[in-house]
Amino acid sequence: MRTRTLRANMDSSSTGIQEPFDLIRLSLSERVFVKLRGDRELTGVLHAYDGHMNLILSDVEETIMIVDQVEGVPEGHSTVNIAKRKMDMLFVRGDGVILVSPPSRT
Amino acid sequence: MDESTPPPPPAPPAEPSPPPPPPPVATSGSPTDFLKNVVGKKVVVRLTSGVDYRGILSCLDGYMNIALEQTEEHVNGRVTNRYGDAFIRGNNVLYISAAEAL
Amino acid sequence: MASQTLPLELIDRCTGSRIWVIMKGDREFTGTLLGFDDFVNMVLEDVTEYETTPQGRKKTKLNQTLLNGNNICMLIPGSSGPEDA
Repeated sequence: MRTRTLRANMDSSSTGIQEPFDLIRLSLSERVFVKLRGDRELTGVLHAYDGHMNLILSDVEETIMIVDQVEGVPEGHSTVNIAKRKMDMLFVRGDGVILVSPPSRT
Repeated sequence: MDESTPPPPPAPPAEPSPPPPPPPVATSGSPTDFLKNVVGKKVVVRLTSGVDYRGILSCLDGYMNIALEQTEEHVNGRVTNRYGDAFIRGNNVLYISAAEAL
Repeated sequence: MASQTLPLELIDRCTGSRIWVIMKGDREFTGTLLGFDDFVNMVLEDVTEYETTPQGRKKTKLNQTLLNGNNICMLIPGSSGPEDA
């Protein structure tokens, strides 16, 4: 596997990541956390991605945070409703992606 | 030092043109130079939404896509998440600020 | 037409001095301009960020910072910012 050899040979930093997309490439077939615009979060197995960060995820759980900001109530004391749902296979359009976090490598 | 040494030899023949300017030092101030200096350091990445990510900058590309290590997500001054690694899509980035002296 | 100053030339003349950056949203920055590129991404030093919220203005001090040019609206060379007046 080309990526593995590359990682083994080079070692500028402790992680051997040369560009941000390497993080994503190394997470293929792994369960990743994805933060999206609109207070949505996903966890799922990463099957494919492209340069726009369009993603294909499977076995996905989506979490939607619905914050009821009440007038006069200090921040952090408002009620947050969390909705969850599951999807077998999902395409995520890249422009909605804020953050992708791979499973921790240790 | 040997006192009796003759004066240093004359300078080599003058070049036809002044020597080329030194290569740009890493502190000349351009965005590229800043990024060279800050890779591997602790940074704060603020998104346009106001959410902050504090971590060690692994690398980034021309779109300002960012890879961070040991990342903490801060919302309204509180830590709301921790990630071993995080990829941040560049369009969301407001700024990257050095969290330690450069 | 005689020589005219290009907008980015004006900004280039400002490197090394204070500049006030007003973003598209409710956010402003002041700092010493160290450099910028064709996208007007800017490197600033000794930065103060001003955030206007319903609760009032929030000030944040920052070290050397790369500001994404994408959200910049206006630049005021030589100004120390909203507190200058």
